[in-house]
Amino acid sequence: MNDVIIVGAGPAGLSAGITCAKKGLGVLIIDEYMKPGGRLLGQLYEEPNGSWWNGIQESTSLYEHAVDLGIQFQLNTPVNNIEKLDQSWVIYTDKHTFNTDHLLLATGAAESPVPVPGWTLPGVMSVGAAQVMTNVHRVKPGERGVIIGVNVLSAAIAMELQLAGIDVACLTLPKLNKITKNAAQPKDVLESLLHVSHMAPSPLIRFGSKLMKNDFMKKMGVTFYPKEGVKMWDIPIQLRKAVINIYGDGEVEGITSATIDANGEVVSGSEENIACDFVCIAGGLYPLTELAAVAGCPFYLIDELGGYVPLHNERMETTLDGLYVAGNITGIEGAKVAIAQGVTAGLSIAENAGISGLDVDIQHSIQSIELTRDKAYIQFHPEVKKGKRILKEQWKEYERSVKKLVH
Amino acid sequence: MSRRILEHPVLGNLQDNKYISFTFNNKNYEGLESESIAAALLANGIRTLRYHEESGSPRGIYCNIGHCFECRVTVNGTQGVRACLTPLQAGMVIESGGKLPTPVRDWSAENE
Amino acid sequence: MTEEEMIVCRCEEVSYEELLQTATKYNCSPRELKLRTRAGMGYCGGRTCRGMVDTVASTIKAQERTQISLKYQPPIRPITFGDLGRQDK
Repeated sequence: MNDVIIVGAGPAGLSAGITCAKKGLGVLIIDEYMKPGGRLLGQLYEEPNGSWWNGIQESTSLYEHAVDLGIQFQLNTPVNNIEKLDQSWVIYTDKHTFNTDHLLLATGAAESPVPVPGWTLPGVMSVGAAQVMTNVHRVKPGERGVIIGVNVLSAAIAMELQLAGIDVACLTLPKLNKITKNAAQPKDVLESLLHVSHMAPSPLIRFGSKLMKNDFMKKMGVTFYPKEGVKMWDIPIQLRKAVINIYGDGEVEGITSATIDANGEVVSGSEENIACDFVCIAGGLYPLTELAAVAGCPFYLIDELGGYVPLHNERMETTLDGLYVAGNITGIEGAKVAIAQGVTAGLSIAENAGISGLDVDIQHSIQSIELTRDKAYIQFHPEVKKGKRILKEQWKEYERSVKKLVH
Repeated sequence: MSRRILEHPVLGNLQDNKYISFTFNNKNYEGLESESIAAALLANGIRTLRYHEESGSPRGIYCNIGHCFECRVTVNGTQGVRACLTPLQAGMVIESGGKLPTPVRDWSAENE
Repeated sequence: MTEEEMIVCRCEEVSYEELLQTATKYNCSPRELKLRTRAGMGYCGGRTCRGMVDTVASTIKAQERTQISLKYQPPIRPITFGDLGRQDK
């Protein structure tokens, strides 16, 4: 029996594990991926101070710290079920069954696609897939790609692809339909893009002439968005074009794009083909909550956090005894917030495991999550704080309803 | 192997250099030891990893981190192995799944 | 490929048109839409398409907030019958 088991070796899981191990608890971290780091592995961006946030380095230093503290790892190990038996949590994997009193779910996020005709062709992949292939595996997803879906994640990854010498033909919208909705509306996308404009200028400083023109912001403000798009890092961002088809015989050979009006409707006769050998689908992320769901956690759908989130308090405790959450399972945010949440979860676990005197540390760590959130360079959802308020209300609502049941 | 990103302005030069042999659909290839099977295949220019069981439509990697199961292949006789998160080892025999002889839907239409 | 033929559930190859028509014809909840079309019932367990199935169903009725609309069932990753048998011992 381990004191603590953590599912997910991403930033939240690793930081929680380190926090627990520092308090003397025996920790096991399980992850189905082959390397520790989770989504942090693929991340690479330049911070306002000019230094680079290198996900591989960050993952490696967290992992090495964890190993030094004696944390055990089970990588390449998918968890397929969890349940509570006789007051302790049982974690089922395909080879072993583990037990613990304190189980942290730090399972991160999954990508939600925007559907496009032809998107099952080999060569079409989620934008996160292209990121991992490029930065982690160091294999080009292709020579020339089109990214469908314009948002914070796809803009950041487009720059990463470019950095690795991969030609990104354009970032463009999916065609408007009953599933793509806002993601296909030029006005809505433009609005959301204004939140990433701060990311535009910095690569100019280091990589000079070829990348980026500083007129990005200016052009963003204009009412009539240019048909050929505005360039960011020399990549056209097209908000007045939509992809109506991905074509190819057996694998991707190109996309058919059409001009759209300000309401997202296709202008007939404007179709043109763009040759490419890979396509990225970028529909955003949603919290991956499946283990919390099979455990029986109550949920609430909070759009500002990316989807259904298991109810939890500021100490990262769920409504179920001995079950904790941290990282993107609690809402879509950056890795630094996930790391801060991991510290809080780790301290809560340590206190519940019988280590006293942690109250002040826990309060500080909760404040630290807030501070990290406020300083976040990449904000996946501009209204994330509103989302957290809704969550808090739902938690209180839940506590009230439980009290009523007890009395 | 021009598909590999050997040099990178921030991440530096690729350090791994231990190439090993494996087979995919009975053909020999080389890949880096312990990289994902999907990365090794893509570095060799292979995008199609399987064919849909019913329609036979070709499929490749989609999510690349184990969520979508589109990249499942048969490795050393074990079916349903995710190419995106299985480390490549020397001598691996990898095969792509194909269209099943009796489509499940046709069978259920006749038998239910 | 047309928009009607566009695949939404990649595992079970359920099209956009089939989902829309089924949702409209039967006034489907997400769960009913899934059961009628098999969208989200394939190999991946609906991880890829669940949001899209929810969205199609939300054209009929607003999505439920207090409960996950498309339930998760263990095992959440496919396991072989052999491994399943071993666990039950």
